[in-house]
Amino acid sequence: MSQKIFAVGAGKGGVGKTFISSSLALTLAKMNHSVLIIDFDLAGANVHTNLGIEPHNSSIQSFLNNEAALVNLLQTTSLPRLSMVQGVWQEWEHSECSSDQGRRMIEEIRKLPFEYVIIDLGPGATPLNLEIFAQADEKILITNAEPTSVEKTYRFFEAWILNKISENSTPEAYLQLKNTVKEFRAQKKKGLFSFRKYLNINAGISFDHFDELLSQPLHLIVNGCRSHQDQDLGFGIKSVCNKYFDLQIDYLGHVDYDNAVWHSIINREPFLIAKPFTKLSAQFLSLAKSLIQSENHAIGYKDVV
Amino acid sequence: MELSARYNYYDILEINAHCPQHEVTTAYERAKQTYSGENPAIYTMFKEEEARELLKLVEEAYSVLGNKTLRALYDEKIGQKRPVADLTFESLQTESKTVLTSSAKKSSPARADFVVDEALENEFKKTTQWDGEMLKKVREYRKLSHEALSEITKISSYYLHALEEMDPKNLPASVYVRGYVSQVVKVFGLDEKKVCDSYMKLFKSSIENK
Repeated sequence: MSQKIFAVGAGKGGVGKTFISSSLALTLAKMNHSVLIIDFDLAGANVHTNLGIEPHNSSIQSFLNNEAALVNLLQTTSLPRLSMVQGVWQEWEHSECSSDQGRRMIEEIRKLPFEYVIIDLGPGATPLNLEIFAQADEKILITNAEPTSVEKTYRFFEAWILNKISENSTPEAYLQLKNTVKEFRAQKKKGLFSFRKYLNINAGISFDHFDELLSQPLHLIVNGCRSHQDQDLGFGIKSVCNKYFDLQIDYLGHVDYDNAVWHSIINREPFLIAKPFTKLSAQFLSLAKSLIQSENHAIGYKDVV
Repeated sequence: MELSARYNYYDILEINAHCPQHEVTTAYERAKQTYSGENPAIYTMFKEEEARELLKLVEEAYSVLGNKTLRALYDEKIGQKRPVADLTFESLQTESKTVLTSSAKKSSPARADFVVDEALENEFKKTTQWDGEMLKKVREYRKLSHEALSEITKISSYYLHALEEMDPKNLPASVYVRGYVSQVVKVFGLDEKKVCDSYMKLFKSSIENK
């Protein structure tokens, strides 16, 4: 059985990462797939609240401290096909996790018998988050329509690309690259829009790994849309990424703003279970379906590019 | 952006070169929305003047790709790997105009002006014996080539040759020949009945003689 790991991240906190990842998990479980959701937001774990489950001591912390195997930390939820691993940390303890630990966790996950594993990451492009993103099969980035989160989303893309390049370069070359990028930011030359071309001319870096990035495009979801313009923002971001970074991304879709979400979190009952016949649950259904079929998307992308 | 990239209109609108026309319009509308006004999508990425420049490119790209004629012309040139200067909106537009006017000329070929010659005109009026030679004489006086006459009458220039040589082997049945002659005579502005009768008489006698 082939397993798919979805990593859900965002440039900024509070854009709805946890809501989206728990809703996607519920949707996939309702579609009769076996799903595991892992709360990996080490600073602010709250998947359990979104799913209406009490916080529990056996959490991912035990795994990262080598106290327990991942398989012993699985918990059941209200849906039979959905399991979860909590991410509650004792706040007084040092809540840090290295990229190596992240890689070890992914290795453990691959051994578990789930069809889909959703990892709910913390905000920002930290080395740990980027590592998990790189390891995951599908990389999902959440933003909302506010300039604050859009800005952070672009910083995430930048970090993602640079991280990818740094993997294949020496420390000196990477330092030079970082300086070139800073230069590019400070004085963008007129008429020269492309980040990729600028790096190529000024740092002499070949960009074969861009093609590797293209084969696994980032999926973008715009959350909390209140208007038609908010929905179209995804196409705008996609176009800007294309023009600025030469990076093709996939605009997976949007999720509307709904006050009922806020209500359901207060009542600690998952929105998709409390209100299964809403526009929002239909939107999650279509997001989940296109994620499952995204292998086909990737092939389509290669053809186009 | 490179100079050649500046004129890759498909890249500017971020569409596939084979996409249907309605997708061009959708892509244009989205790009326009993205790069004009205060769309959050360009925040911290493009400055206002950069966005304006991009918008100009988008508009230029759509003015070519949004127009079926210009798009077809552009596709053709891209295929031929023409120099960049040939791919601008202006050059495409001027070319599309020349293509249109030259085809218009074809459909109504200009008639060369002929000099009126009283003596010849009188001769044509008096002549009762109309053979191929006579028709040729009138045609040459009118300064019409076989091809020009063929354009007007829609009779193949091959038959027009044969008419002037009175060569039955290269002509259809005589009833059609009469039709051809009457067409030609109408163009020359001569007395249709007189010329046709005379020509057909001579034509038939030439067949019998052979």
